[in-house]
Amino acid sequence: MKVEVVTRILEANERIAAENRRLFDKATVYVINLMSGPGAGKTSLLERTIKELNGKIKTAVIEGDIAGTSDAERIGSLGVPVIQINTGGACHLDANMINEVLESLPLKETDLLFVENIGNLVCPAEFNIGEDMKAMVLSITEGDDKPLKYPLMFQESSALILNKIDLLPYTNASVEKIRKDAMSLNPSLKIFEVSCKTGKGIAEWAEWLTEKVKS
Amino acid sequence: MHEASIALSVLEIAVDSCRKAGYNRIESIRLKIGRASGIMIDALLFAFNAVKADTIAAEASVIIDEIAVSGLCSSCDKDFVTEEKYVLCCPECSSASFNIKTGRELEIIDMEVF
Ligand SMILES: Nc1nc2c(ncn2[C@@H]2O[C@H](COP(=O)(O)OP(=O)(O)O)[C@@H](O)[C@H]2O)c(=O)[nH]1
Ligand SMILES: [Mg+2]
Repeated sequence: MKVEVVTRILEANERIAAENRRLFDKATVYVINLMSGPGAGKTSLLERTIKELNGKIKTAVIEGDIAGTSDAERIGSLGVPVIQINTGGACHLDANMINEVLESLPLKETDLLFVENIGNLVCPAEFNIGEDMKAMVLSITEGDDKPLKYPLMFQESSALILNKIDLLPYTNASVEKIRKDAMSLNPSLKIFEVSCKTGKGIAEWAEWLTEKVKS
Repeated sequence: MHEASIALSVLEIAVDSCRKAGYNRIESIRLKIGRASGIMIDALLFAFNAVKADTIAAEASVIIDEIAVSGLCSSCDKDFVTEEKYVLCCPECSSASFNIKTGRELEIIDMEVF
């Protein structure tokens, strides 16, 4: 006996993402899904950005890691509401993991919620969590061949934060090549060159974010 | 990389649909998987065989229809189909502005139950 199913396998995720979206809209929170490979500087960028936005925009953070709470402690020490999710091995955050922690965040008092996804250049780009925008960090030390090797994340992101620009003299990476390849994958991508070590570029990025949140 | 969680979702949806249809054994499940879905078929089949044990799908086989990546270029207005997993630019005119039409599917189509 044949049974027609015709169901998208990720339908459950899409449904919960839409429910998250509804909760975010109700509390008027702007949500950024921040993605990168391991160690590109997501947590460092959040630390810098939160300090830069201090007072002007109320932020909160969901930290995703396979294990450990050190990133949540780094953010917590800035006095910002933060929740740590440990996926225990899963390579990405999904809508349900986000849904389960939303109750513990003061969404009504939050303007901008950052979700730091699991360090992985592949899978996080495939799961919507109900965000307003996906943004990604690529550090210059990862090499300038990454856009063409991992195209999906570059295609799905609205902003690319090119981090560790202070280390450029010690690498053979070409910022021009990264820009050109990333733009060929996604012509509307907004690219920021920053250093979370020196603070270069952080102000421009924070200003752009502020406009997004307020619009 | 997340084939295990995809395999679990397939199992959940299949078991649910089988029960709803009033049957209690699944013989085969047919999936539609686009080549740009990011799913490695071997890894998915391996994971499915692991999670199906002790369920009404324990004997079930998985049949996969692989879907090629295709799109429509907004510059030269031509349809294209490619063997590649990702399209970086239109194969005809190299433009970066195109819309993907197929290749990202990840669906259960139907199943044989009894
Ligand atoms: N030199 C340099 N190091 C950085 C920069 N940003 C982050 N790092 C270092 O890179 C490492 C990983 O950063 P982290 O923010 O934890 O990355 P995450 O895994 O993406 O959250 C840490 O040792 C940071 O101090 C930068 O702009 N320049
Ligand atoms: Mg981190």
